[in-house]
Amino acid sequence: MSATMTVAFDEGLPPEVLDLLNSKDGTAFEQALDAMVRQREQHLFRALGVLARDLHGAVSRLGSDLANEGVPDSMADARNHLAEVLEMSSKAAHRSLDFVDRIRPEAEALSNNANAVLDFNSSETDPAAVLARQAQVFASACCEGLNDMVLVQSWQDLAGQRVKKVVGFIESVESSLLELVRLTGALAGREAPVEVAKVNSQDEVDRLLSEFGF
Amino acid sequence: MKILVVDDFSTMRRIVRNLLVELGFSNPMIQEADDGHNALAMLKANAFDMVVTDWNMPNMTGIELLQAIRAEPKLKGLPVLMVTAENNREQIIAAAQAGVNGYIVKPFTANTLKEKLDKIFERLAASGASA
Repeated sequence: MSATMTVAFDEGLPPEVLDLLNSKDGTAFEQALDAMVRQREQHLFRALGVLARDLHGAVSRLGSDLANEGVPDSMADARNHLAEVLEMSSKAAHRSLDFVDRIRPEAEALSNNANAVLDFNSSETDPAAVLARQAQVFASACCEGLNDMVLVQSWQDLAGQRVKKVVGFIESVESSLLELVRLTGALAGREAPVEVAKVNSQDEVDRLLSEFGF
Repeated sequence: MKILVVDDFSTMRRIVRNLLVELGFSNPMIQEADDGHNALAMLKANAFDMVVTDWNMPNMTGIELLQAIRAEPKLKGLPVLMVTAENNREQIIAAAQAGVNGYIVKPFTANTLKEKLDKIFERLAASGASA
């Protein structure tokens, strides 16, 4: 049995470990094992410490960029710009729809007036009747065009949905970054602030960052 | 016929309303809600004959609204037409399984809207006659 164990353990193990495994002194074996585990843990903690410091340094730089209001590339600005695009496009679409609402009754009235003229005078040659027929054609083309114009405004909804998705994505990246700032702040020994589930304004961003001295 | 148009984009609500009026529905009978949550409250408070809803909305999505309508004894028979930019196979299947009456993918034309509405009313008339 002990011969089999020696064969199983002898590959890749330092000689002092092999000696311990084969030793009859149980206390010495346990102490040596504890020392080895502690040594390994210390290596791990040192590596984690270096990682946390590096991460904290990187996030500090990012944090100061985030908090720097007025930087054109900052995420808060990007979000605001997209919100403006959404609002402007919505206004433009509504203006077009207002235009349709204003013109459609006029086109319909023109058509009705032309019909009234033709009821009274359906001559093929009389200028009034000819003009009335032309007015009918125009009014009908107008209504058709206005209907198309209404439908075409759905671009705002489709484009707006995409913009909203991008805004949502930026928000999630921003919250993740801030969470990272919070986490690395805690790792670096500062007290973790109350968790901010969602950061809605530049003020909140600044406040959160300031808690870590960014 | 009282219709509830549900969409978080005011432009789209206005477009659908405009098209419905063009198709002969009465403008004052068309009401609007900007998400599923508000729509459900309106449906519970007042009798409607049909719902035209978007899918992607804050608070309560169109599919959640549809599920809530089908789960509510007073509302479960209400025709629901989904008008959405979501054209994933899975989503269309999910809507069908939840009991949607019609599904229109944006952008759409007035003719498509008319076709789907006609189909809904035909089916309703047929099921009403057989019941």
